[in-house]
Amino acid sequence: MHHPIFFIDSFLKAIGFENAAAYSHVTHSWLVMLILIISAVLFVKGIQLIPTKGQNFFEVLVEGLEKFMVEITGPEGRFFFPFIGTVFLYILVSNLIGLIPGLNSPTANLNTTLSMALCTFVYTHIIGFKFHGVKYIKHFLGPVWWLAPLMLPIELIGHFARIMSLSVRLFGNIFGKEMVLSILFGLAGLYLAPLPILFLGILVSFIQALVFMLLSIMYFVGSMEHAH
Amino acid sequence: MLVFMPDTALCFMDEDLKKNIKTLGYFSTVGMAMALSVAIGAAVGYYLDKYFETGPWLTFIFLGLGIAAAFRNLYILYKKAKNL
Repeated sequence: MHHPIFFIDSFLKAIGFENAAAYSHVTHSWLVMLILIISAVLFVKGIQLIPTKGQNFFEVLVEGLEKFMVEITGPEGRFFFPFIGTVFLYILVSNLIGLIPGLNSPTANLNTTLSMALCTFVYTHIIGFKFHGVKYIKHFLGPVWWLAPLMLPIELIGHFARIMSLSVRLFGNIFGKEMVLSILFGLAGLYLAPLPILFLGILVSFIQALVFMLLSIMYFVGSMEHAH
Repeated sequence: MLVFMPDTALCFMDEDLKKNIKTLGYFSTVGMAMALSVAIGAAVGYYLDKYFETGPWLTFIFLGLGIAAAFRNLYILYKKAKNL
């Protein structure tokens, strides 16, 4: 199998960073951040009452996302929309960027997805402590006090399974797509053979971004509501 | 279900399709949550056993806890899915 050629890696190598290929996912996630920031700044320069084309697009996108979220959380969950929106847009763009030949998905590396899953995990508990104070511990102790020594490890295992499942699902889907694509490129010729997988890749990119967002919302809602 | 969706499709989908996708996304997590709970329980038990040198006992105890956590996850998912 040929080693894939990535534009950014070769460019960084050309200007003197010998190790650039080892940090491919980091440089590509910088690229995704640049794309998001630049498009936001360009399109939304000077927000007007009658929106321009770019502003219209972003308004529809953000409004749709917010409606989607508030349907699940109710209005008291509106304060964490910035986190949810950022996660969705970032994951979506990083998934889709891998479909362009010569670019790599940052989410096809476990480190990227794990970092995002850890952010969700930490923020879940911050929200829990913010809403319930010290009583948030009750979430981990089960319904009755004499079950607490049994329920505590069970709940802890469940919470760590959340990190694992969030990160490994996204990583596995995107990495698998990249793998299938590169094998098909290697085996079946360069032209139209990988096309169906590319279509599937668009679907998977969208669904995985949606699932990550949906699960983050669900976890936040779970830490916001009262202990059972 | 298998439709082509551009990235802003979320905002234009009709309610039925939106609900279907939400449910699909949510229930696609069931299997993984279950398997990973068992795996994490077993792994924690195994390494605790290695650390304390207590034979196979902690592995079995934590495996049981992991399986219990898996079913508890299923129960929580079921309860949440009712008002999705």
